[in-house]
Amino acid sequence: MQLPAPIRNLYERWLARRLPPARQIVLDQRRIFIFPTGYGFFYLLVAALLFIGGINYENNLILALSFLLASLFMVAILHTFRNLSALGIRNGGSESGFAGEEGALEIVLFAQRREHHCVWLRWRGQDDQQISIRRGEEESLWLNLPLAKRGRVMAPRLKVESRFPLGLLRTWSYVSLDHYCLAWPRPEESLDCPADGGKENQQAFSSGQSGNDEFQGLRSYIPGDSLRRVDWKGYARGRGLNTKQFEEPVGGRLWLRWDRLQGLGEEQRLSVLSYWILQLDPQRQPYGLKLPGLTLAPDTGDVHRWRLLDALASYPDF
Amino acid sequence: MQALDKALAQVGRVVLGKEEQLKLALTCMLANGHLLIEDLPGMGKTTLAHALARVFKLEYRRVQFTSDMLPADILGVSVFDPNTQQFSLREGPVFTQLLLADEINRATPKTQSALLEAMEERQVTLDGVTRPLPQPFFVVATQNPVDQAGTFVLPESQLDRFLMRISLGYPAPEVELQLLAGGDLREQVRELQAVINSEGLIKLSRVVGKVRASHELLDYVQRLLDATRSDDRFVAGLSPRAGLGLLKAARAWALVSGRDYVLPEDVQAVWPSVAEHRLSARQGGSVAAITQSLLQSVPVIRR
Amino acid sequence: MARIYQVPSHTRLWLALAVLLCSIPQLVKGPLWQAGLLVLVILIRWLVEQQRLTLPGRMVRSLLLIGAVALTFYSFGRLYGPEAGVALLVSLFALKYLEVVQQRDAYVVIVLGYFVCGTALLFSQTPGMFLYVVLCMTVLTSCLVGINHSDTRASGFLHGKRALVITLQSIPLMMVLFLLVPRVAPLWNMQVGGDKARTGMSDSMSPGQISELSESAELAFRVDFQGDVPPRAQRYWRGLTLSHYDGRTWQQAVPKGQLESEYLYRRGTEKPDWYRKLESRRSYEQERYLYEVIAEPSQRRWLFSLAVPFPLDGDMALAKDMRLVANQPVSQRLAYRVESVPAINEVIGLTPQERQLMLSLPQNAGKKARGLAHQWRKESSSARDISQRALRYFRDQPFHYTLRPPRLTADPVDDFLFRTRRGFCEHYASSFTFLMRAAGVPARVVVGYQGGEQNDMGTHFLVRQYDAHAWSEIWLEGEGWTRVDPTGAVAPDRIELGLREALENSEDGRDLLADLGLRRFSDGGLFAKVSQWIDYVDFRWQTWVLGYDRAFQSDFLESLLGAVTPARIAIALIIAVAILMGFYAFFLLWQTGNEKLTLMEREYWRLHQRASERGRPLVAGLTPMQLCQAISEQWPQAAVAAENWAKYYQKLHYDPLSPPDKQQKRHLRSLRNRLYKLLD
Repeated sequence: MQLPAPIRNLYERWLARRLPPARQIVLDQRRIFIFPTGYGFFYLLVAALLFIGGINYENNLILALSFLLASLFMVAILHTFRNLSALGIRNGGSESGFAGEEGALEIVLFAQRREHHCVWLRWRGQDDQQISIRRGEEESLWLNLPLAKRGRVMAPRLKVESRFPLGLLRTWSYVSLDHYCLAWPRPEESLDCPADGGKENQQAFSSGQSGNDEFQGLRSYIPGDSLRRVDWKGYARGRGLNTKQFEEPVGGRLWLRWDRLQGLGEEQRLSVLSYWILQLDPQRQPYGLKLPGLTLAPDTGDVHRWRLLDALASYPDF
Repeated sequence: MQALDKALAQVGRVVLGKEEQLKLALTCMLANGHLLIEDLPGMGKTTLAHALARVFKLEYRRVQFTSDMLPADILGVSVFDPNTQQFSLREGPVFTQLLLADEINRATPKTQSALLEAMEERQVTLDGVTRPLPQPFFVVATQNPVDQAGTFVLPESQLDRFLMRISLGYPAPEVELQLLAGGDLREQVRELQAVINSEGLIKLSRVVGKVRASHELLDYVQRLLDATRSDDRFVAGLSPRAGLGLLKAARAWALVSGRDYVLPEDVQAVWPSVAEHRLSARQGGSVAAITQSLLQSVPVIRR
Repeated sequence: MARIYQVPSHTRLWLALAVLLCSIPQLVKGPLWQAGLLVLVILIRWLVEQQRLTLPGRMVRSLLLIGAVALTFYSFGRLYGPEAGVALLVSLFALKYLEVVQQRDAYVVIVLGYFVCGTALLFSQTPGMFLYVVLCMTVLTSCLVGINHSDTRASGFLHGKRALVITLQSIPLMMVLFLLVPRVAPLWNMQVGGDKARTGMSDSMSPGQISELSESAELAFRVDFQGDVPPRAQRYWRGLTLSHYDGRTWQQAVPKGQLESEYLYRRGTEKPDWYRKLESRRSYEQERYLYEVIAEPSQRRWLFSLAVPFPLDGDMALAKDMRLVANQPVSQRLAYRVESVPAINEVIGLTPQERQLMLSLPQNAGKKARGLAHQWRKESSSARDISQRALRYFRDQPFHYTLRPPRLTADPVDDFLFRTRRGFCEHYASSFTFLMRAAGVPARVVVGYQGGEQNDMGTHFLVRQYDAHAWSEIWLEGEGWTRVDPTGAVAPDRIELGLREALENSEDGRDLLADLGLRRFSDGGLFAKVSQWIDYVDFRWQTWVLGYDRAFQSDFLESLLGAVTPARIAIALIIAVAILMGFYAFFLLWQTGNEKLTLMEREYWRLHQRASERGRPLVAGLTPMQLCQAISEQWPQAAVAAENWAKYYQKLHYDPLSPPDKQQKRHLRSLRNRLYKLLD
């Protein structure tokens, strides 16, 4: 069912003009297409056969039956159309992923005026997902999106389709959502950590020690101190409860820096930074990121990691 | 209600030309919430906090946060006494009625979270001993928005603990002139008269809960919350807790405005200071601009 | 291999119901094994759905199919033809239902269901059957809704409701199509054996045959007169003329050597002499009756009409003995329009061959009767005089009119005339005709119906089997064939009032009526009323729905459109369909889904809208007070009124302690109206 390329291009351009992208779209007659399904044509054939039968047997009631079938079909046009009409679609959340893998976009459907049954959503090359929305409610769906290369991956045109209630007709609409998924740079292994704080940090990570600070001395234990830093050996020797004191390294925290990766291409720099974010994340050491035009303060945790990766993905338009 | 007007007038004598912010600060106190002031140094943050404490006759302490501060420096220490073989608690500065936490973003996340936990629970637990904080208990924290070097910006999840965030900003020229002509501010603060005592304040904050809110108003608040959730310019919408805070702040504002029921104006008045610091915009957006635009687009009356 | 049933559970019951309902019309009249097959299939499906049985494999299904085909052949002797074909279709329908596994199979079952519904209408065309078929269609549509509803919240009840709504919406459209879509001539001819003939007139008459008919109240035909209605005593519905008598039975006969084209005139063929004469006289006569007859199926070719009928529709011929003959036996209800002109029978002549036939008598029957006839002939001057004498004889001698005449022995003519003298119309008609022939007057027996009752609605006449009658016609020089009813001489009530009255007026008749359980239609109470209504509906169904043929349609369209051209029909069709569809679209698509706004909310939005229309557009997020400020800025003169409104509004709307009562709302409206006047 592939059209020749020039025709398809024309069609795509026409669609783009007719259905410009938006963050939120309520389907109306301008956007909804309708056409009989295969079964719909079969059904019409049956109606035609009954019509011929009625004519030949000069049987008015069989004729009436064939007219009833035809009328059902016509009324079904309205009902099928109605099932998609006034359906609202808007952006939901977005789940980023590494380039080459899959991200996901959340599509929120809302029913302002009536309920919508068995609506199928899909974008090209993906499986259908079905959803029903009750009047006045919202439902959301996550649709996977392959992320080809780093950056913002715009949502493809979404196909919204329904055959409800009789399956005789198919009504559909294309929705261009102004919605995107961030594709993080694919991590690229690199030995040098492009971070302020230098080599000792890097070694500290690689040797797997907990803590990266210089040991400074002991002080008496203050409640609230981390129990990991208590000098348990000393306590066992009867020296009382003492806390090990460490000196923070220069700058206090790690800064991953773009400008320490001189001589690499843009994408490669981003990939190396991505790699090191993943490396630093499990260390529970606050780390920050300095990119041209954006500085993100050091912190730890999942949210922080995502924020940094998102920054790498959206570089240079944050 | 006259007491509230008087209190506003008193504080207004030392914090000049900031009636709106004063009213918000007072509202925040009445709503039993903590206040975050984001401003450059020298804008009168300390004066404001101190003046509020004076006017309501509250026990007042000020802590300057630094990066070497430990949780114990705020909460207190449980000291082991080898003679009695027991721990004894030495209360930290948090045991007061009004705590000014200056430059909170200079402390390490650990210290920050210790304070924030105490703020939320209004009690301190040290070595399994739980001690309640005095009543009432307010924290006025300040944060320097510009100088980020060597600071730990409060994470969004922690910002939720503050009912409101305000910023004072530069004074208007004529006000500044007045300020320059005036004497020592510290002196003036000390001269302020107490208007109500702390018990009075507690009573007032109980009255806040009795300010009536109609179903239609709750509906409006809900629509506003919903709008933040469905607007994809935000990373995430407001939490239900933020919604409760918004309603409580609107009630307090109505009380400060001398009304015993809430109007949508009250909600709109507290909206920026309640909502902005809890929301973060996706790339490039200004939270302030978007929250403001929601007030324009969300219908006040259902339609 | 385990087979997975994919038709959703909420639709299984609908599907089973659809299969059952669609099959019932065939099961009722078809062989018993069909019902057995369906019960078996439904049972298997039920067990499968209970997961107590796996779906039968290909082998079992093939065996069932072969069995069904074999049984069909066994029951009908063939596999083609309407009866056998429909039986086969219904069996296949059940077997297809057995193997429903996927949505596609369910679609096939539903489509087969449409055909099964269609075939049910081949054999019965009553309004009840059509309603039943519409019901089946609704159930089939429910199945369609069900198999397209793969939602966890779906429920079978809602499928039915949705299907009912869709079907009800389709019915007006169906009527439009029915009225306006042009009827095309059949592409090829097909006939279906319809209802088997019930009681009815046979093509011969022997003693006792008509009196048997009199015991039936079944409908023979209906008549709808347009314009004048002849009086009861003139309503002789002629069916057959019987000219040959063998001493016991009267039969149809034509003179030897006469060609069909000489005594039957069919439209489009060459007009015989007698028809040309009839036609030339037809237009001079004033007395004429225009009517439509709707005949029940009789499996006979003869049709009933008043004397000297001219058929107005095709498919039938006029015979020289002044009666109508259908081209095919009447196997289904048949409606035909006739114009009868009673007074022109005189122009039909009598050929010598015909005269010979009309005088012929069996050799050795009725010796005494012949004697009587000869005597009358000698004493009379004319044929009319002879017939008067005969009638006087019936009147003067002790003849009785009875539904239960005694048996007649060897010579029925003499036995009746001189011994029993108790008889029914056929006895009188038969013996009168015999006497006339014996006296040299050409005569024949006519059988048909006499009278008929008018429906209570006053619309049409019902002629029932008990109106069956026999009378005579004699040939008079210069007058042609003249009707003589000897029964009238014996029992004038029979002719004037009808059989019911006639029997009620006689002693034994009343007992007889009670015995037979025959009651006059109009006698009963509610039941009779209802049956009159049912009859009326049936009659209208017959004339307006089943009788809506090409001729009727083109008349109707002509009165509707002025002229019947394809363009006009197309335009009318498009307009009618568009109006209906637009009406539905309006209700289906424009219904607002929003919860209704309260009066207070409407108040606000009205003002908001007015201010936005008259001044600059306003945003939605305005509190009442902000709205008031926006108004004051643009219309300073309205500032005070606006503030009054806003203050009052916010107090009413936002203070839960003072929910607005009616009076306050009215006051608010008056404040707004005051404000309205200031905004321009």
